[in-house]
Amino acid sequence: MKAIRELIAECSTQAFDLHFTRAKEWKAEKEGRVVVGYMPIYFPREIIHAAGALPVGIFGGGDRKQVIKGDAYYQSYICRIPRSIMELVLDKHTAHFDGYIFPSICDVIRNLSGIFKQQKIGKFVKYMDFPQNFLPEIGGVYYQQEMAHVLKYIKDLNGVEVTTDALNHSIGLYNKNRELIELIYHIRQEFPWRLSIEDVYHVIRAGTVIPVEEHNDILKQVCAHIQQDIGKPQDKIKVVISGAFCEQPSIGLIRAIEEAGCYVVDDDYMLGSRMIMGPVDPDTDNPLEAIASAYIRQSQYSSSIYDVHDPKELRLAKIVKDRGADGVIFASASFCDPSLLDAPIFQNAFDRMGIRYMAFQFSENINQFKVIKEQVGAFSDSIKLWDEEPIVI
Amino acid sequence: MNDKMIYTMGIDMGGSYAKGVLLHYDPTGGIHQVLDKRTEKIRKRNPKDVALEMIGRLLEENKLEEKDIAYLASTGEGEMVEQKTGHFYSMTAHSRGGIFLAPEARTVVDMGGLYVRAIKVDHRGKVMDYKMTGQCASGSGQFIENISRYLGLAVEEVGEMSLKADCPEVPSGICAVLAETDVINLVSKGLSTPNIVKGINISIANRVIKLLGSLKAESPIVLVGGMGMNVGMIQAIRELAEESGSKDYSFLSHPDAIYSGALGAAVWGGFRYFKLKEKQFVFVA
Repeated sequence: MKAIRELIAECSTQAFDLHFTRAKEWKAEKEGRVVVGYMPIYFPREIIHAAGALPVGIFGGGDRKQVIKGDAYYQSYICRIPRSIMELVLDKHTAHFDGYIFPSICDVIRNLSGIFKQQKIGKFVKYMDFPQNFLPEIGGVYYQQEMAHVLKYIKDLNGVEVTTDALNHSIGLYNKNRELIELIYHIRQEFPWRLSIEDVYHVIRAGTVIPVEEHNDILKQVCAHIQQDIGKPQDKIKVVISGAFCEQPSIGLIRAIEEAGCYVVDDDYMLGSRMIMGPVDPDTDNPLEAIASAYIRQSQYSSSIYDVHDPKELRLAKIVKDRGADGVIFASASFCDPSLLDAPIFQNAFDRMGIRYMAFQFSENINQFKVIKEQVGAFSDSIKLWDEEPIVI
Repeated sequence: MNDKMIYTMGIDMGGSYAKGVLLHYDPTGGIHQVLDKRTEKIRKRNPKDVALEMIGRLLEENKLEEKDIAYLASTGEGEMVEQKTGHFYSMTAHSRGGIFLAPEARTVVDMGGLYVRAIKVDHRGKVMDYKMTGQCASGSGQFIENISRYLGLAVEEVGEMSLKADCPEVPSGICAVLAETDVINLVSKGLSTPNIVKGINISIANRVIKLLGSLKAESPIVLVGGMGMNVGMIQAIRELAEESGSKDYSFLSHPDAIYSGALGAAVWGGFRYFKLKEKQFVFVA
């Protein structure tokens, strides 16, 4: 077993490799291999894996890629992630990708898929709509058709006809992946000092750009390490981060929140890797139906899901309670409509429920954290010192 | 460890100096006793090493070990203090430190190396409101340090030197770069050093008075942080308050003003120690 720092260093390198080197190596290992890029938030990677291809997450250039050409495609009032994705693509960082999938998040990402089509980037571009109707016979069937459409694109490239056994095998691997990630969060809920949220982020993000088998091996080792009594506890409040599910904060900002006096015990940074709660049935005659059913019945709350029968504010409140968190930090990317439109709904509900929160906005390239750190520090102190006083709204 | 009186330590990692305080914390509401205090210029050293050394010295000179400290609290650049039990945001720490030094104060003005912040507080040191200077360095202690270096003075001499001024000239109060150019011009014009440093103190004092006005500050006002030790600055603030018609302001100073952040952190550390202990008790029960 590798040392924990060695594992984290490897994950850190993979997570922020904007040239997607591991995917390039994987593709070169065998002729005819297909690499498929997908954008946030969630995409059922199992189906790509079952088709013999490699799903690779594209989460923008962050603070590691200067955007010049990408700015020409978007107005100033649009968030930053589509610009930096365009910059990556135009600078040939994804030249070894065969196709791109744009899961339904917002109009900006939909339009990005349009630009990819117009510019003939990749061998296929799929804008993937997710069901907003949660009846299995309507939304579930629709979702299966969408997944079948993706599989057809891949078959056209590598000739692989996906079998039930292959799908069930892939479902099993991703079930294990989610189970191990959840174990990390479960351990951190009680012992957050054993692995910083910065390290957790590196570990989980690395999993979006390397084969799942390799990631599961890393996760097993990380879990083994943090099951030991390592690190030194500090007096910090516990918080849940909400709103940063698409455009990602820079690693400096992720670190700054914990440095300012918080332990982040839950977050939605890499929501797609944790979207399905619990296992997908790995042993059915219709695996696509099993994946669709899991999406309908076991999805994490998300700003891209409009389930009026299961209000997201109650779901976030439940996470806060279950994790024993002291409060919530709403971290929204600037101009992120889904996140910023949801924030008042959460905040109004939390005012009624007496859940403490604070909010700030960021963009992926922000590298001055002083103001945010001060806000978070003040929030942390207000809970540490004055938690018995009523909240003044 | 005797729970009636415990040791806490506060380390304030500022922009120019590290400050450390060893406190005998009294949870009964009595008076916390300062056992020892230290300041250390960071200069070009690794701040983590400075913090480590300071903690070591405070422990060694008081014949204590790290395990004897119930709560080691950091403030300022807290990530530089790796042994800390917890961290307090600098405004929270300075507010409590200000009340520790001057319990009757209802406004604390933290005049540090990087900015000036006026904070309205209640009797417990809880922050009620605040205003602070913008990003410009010309309203900060770092600016005074730079100027004193140009003038060949030790920063500790600036205050006394300022008191000797008879005809001060105020440089640009807007930009540190322009103000520094102004100072060079004042030197070449032959203005005396006391008049130059008094002018600089007035320039910063002017910002403090404006901050207090926009905050609707309540008196007494205690001046803390590194610049709170500068007697010339304190005099300039008092004079300017009088000239500007803010005669209701009463200002307090304290010889330990530079330790306000470290003191506040140490006091809050003691508070948290007992609060956590109580919670654990409830949990176990």
